[in-house]
Amino acid sequence: MTVPGLTGAAPDPAPAISVRGLTKRFGAFTAVNGIDFDVPRGQVFGFLGPNGSGKSTAIRMLTGSLAATSGLAYVLGEDVLAHPARVQRRIGYMSQKFTLFRDLTVEENLRFYAGVYGLSARQYADQRAYILQMADLVGREQELTANLSVGWQRRLALGTATIHSPELLFLDEPTSGVDPVARRQFWDLLYELANRGVTLFVTTHYMEEASHCNQLAFIYRGRLVAEGSPAEIRGRASRQQILEVAVATPDAALEVIEKVPEVIDAYLSGTTVHAVFLADGGERAFAESLIAALRSQGFAEVSVVRVEPTIDDVFVSLVSSQRATSSEYRVRSTGHRAQPRRRAE
Amino acid sequence: MSLRRIRLIIWKEFLQLRRDPLLLRLILIMPIVQLIFFGYVVSADVRNLATALVDLDKSPTSRQLAASFSSSSYFTIEAYLQSETELKPLMNRGDVQVAIVIPEGTQARLESGEIAPVGIVVDGSDSRTAAVSSGYAAQTVARFNADRIVEQGLALSSPGIDARVRVLFNPSLRTVNTMIPGLIAAILMLSVMAIMSQAVVRERESGTLEQMFVTPITRGEYLIGKVTPYVLLAVLQMSLVALVGIFWFQVPFHGTFAAVAAGLGLFMLTVIGLGLLVSLAAHTRQQAQQTVLFIMLPMMLLSGFIFPIESMPAALVPVTYVMPLTWAVLLLRGVFVKGVGFSALVPELLVLAAFAILIFGAAVMATRRRLSE
Repeated sequence: MTVPGLTGAAPDPAPAISVRGLTKRFGAFTAVNGIDFDVPRGQVFGFLGPNGSGKSTAIRMLTGSLAATSGLAYVLGEDVLAHPARVQRRIGYMSQKFTLFRDLTVEENLRFYAGVYGLSARQYADQRAYILQMADLVGREQELTANLSVGWQRRLALGTATIHSPELLFLDEPTSGVDPVARRQFWDLLYELANRGVTLFVTTHYMEEASHCNQLAFIYRGRLVAEGSPAEIRGRASRQQILEVAVATPDAALEVIEKVPEVIDAYLSGTTVHAVFLADGGERAFAESLIAALRSQGFAEVSVVRVEPTIDDVFVSLVSSQRATSSEYRVRSTGHRAQPRRRAE
Repeated sequence: MSLRRIRLIIWKEFLQLRRDPLLLRLILIMPIVQLIFFGYVVSADVRNLATALVDLDKSPTSRQLAASFSSSSYFTIEAYLQSETELKPLMNRGDVQVAIVIPEGTQARLESGEIAPVGIVVDGSDSRTAAVSSGYAAQTVARFNADRIVEQGLALSSPGIDARVRVLFNPSLRTVNTMIPGLIAAILMLSVMAIMSQAVVRERESGTLEQMFVTPITRGEYLIGKVTPYVLLAVLQMSLVALVGIFWFQVPFHGTFAAVAAGLGLFMLTVIGLGLLVSLAAHTRQQAQQTVLFIMLPMMLLSGFIFPIESMPAALVPVTYVMPLTWAVLLLRGVFVKGVGFSALVPELLVLAAFAILIFGAAVMATRRRLSE
């Protein structure tokens, strides 16, 4: 059997995750297209990409809940595609949605999952005490989880996902919709797990969170487009700077901005336009020429601010450098879909 | 397959049901409301009754009498029998609903100026059909007598044929006696299908399904754990209807419990399968709800549960036979009212088994495939 995209030798069973040529097709659509990567044990691994890029599909194959079309995937040394049951007892999974039972209480949810993993009464008592304390839910055991606010729900979900002390934990955008303070508290909990030797496989939208990871991989349209440590990734994008242009009609403004000679790249980001240029110190002059170009085309209210690259900006730059030769590629489409989120100032 | 995990899913399912008191109340009140509704309110017109003719006289008069039955739109003579003993098996199987028994010597009696009795045997297991058909039979005989008087120029008071109606199986012709067996099957379908389809879609929508499938819970364990509580609830509902029917409405139960259990078991697999298929096809709970209505309404109307199949337009009659509910209703009426045993129910049981294998099998296969997408 030939495996498309298979590179080098057979996967190494030693890492927490080892993937070669992993592919998933849904009919004619290829959601994950021959990806390869390794996640060493004990690492915090960031898996990044816009919505619909294949992140969740990849996670579902790695957690054994979705069959792969082709390729190899070893999780904790076991072939997860052939024997998902051997892996599922040893991994945990936390979705970006709150996937505990909303019409059950905190206690009932814990008891359900403890039972599913076959914890003894003694183990359950220990884990329950630990999770309640960690999630700050002591005394609220009999509350329905639907009535908890988002931060508490997230921590309870984390506690439940780790109730069986997994060696590897998958977290799919675990902090989406959580305020910055709660987000930081949540990451403290993740570090605690990492310090105990748990391997973490995290997807996120926040650049500041991505920089907490040991290793990053970017996936776009089912393919891995970049891999490396946060410093390496940022290094590739660091030669570029970004100006955020706020204007009443961003679609029309984009066409004008694209024609300004210094602009390397421009794309819609939420209700603004991001203009990318080389960081050579001419920031002010560049901003002024942008404003002038827009004014001359009749855009009255224009404001231009320099912003730190978000994950999407880094991402767009990675993708566009990869696709520089391909004319079919339009950055605009990604800029539109993936709404960048910025840290609260 | 782990019994512990199945038990956990059942436990969780019951907890969730308990948190939804409205649903629980509906499950228990709905059958009673339907019992009253369908038991008393519905009635219908009947045409083209399958009729057997037992002509022991074999005379011109008897042929004339038979012709006046077959020329009316109410009766279709489907069987010509040589003796009355052949009749009972036909009625047991539901092949005919009415029989006309013309005794030997009918013509001779009429010619000698005596009253000639003719037997009309009616299948009472569907009381509305029975009541209507015995009325039609009496009318047909009266018209025959009137025609004969006119044709032969007899005195108006001359004796003629006397129709003696005998009702088999449900002599009192009470509607509840036929409604309650049908209702048991209908309620099984309503509640299992409606709740099953909702339950799985809901777990897919909320993501709890996704969470459970990264744990050691297998698809099989999930399915069994998910289905069992609703089967138990359905059994509770059916028992409630049966008990209220037997003790309050005084519906007779003549048959064997085993036949009921076998038939309902097969029918239950079928409706669980239908519910699952709906929940797999639907992406939202609203879609599931609409789809269930779309399937259920024709099933209720065309199964003979509410309106007798005999009263339907001929073009629709074949459709009634592809409704699983039709066969469940037939079977239950046979057991309750006629008290027939397994041998007379073989066709119904075979058809129900075929539906169960086909629909439940398809649902299990689709579930395995769909849940791993």
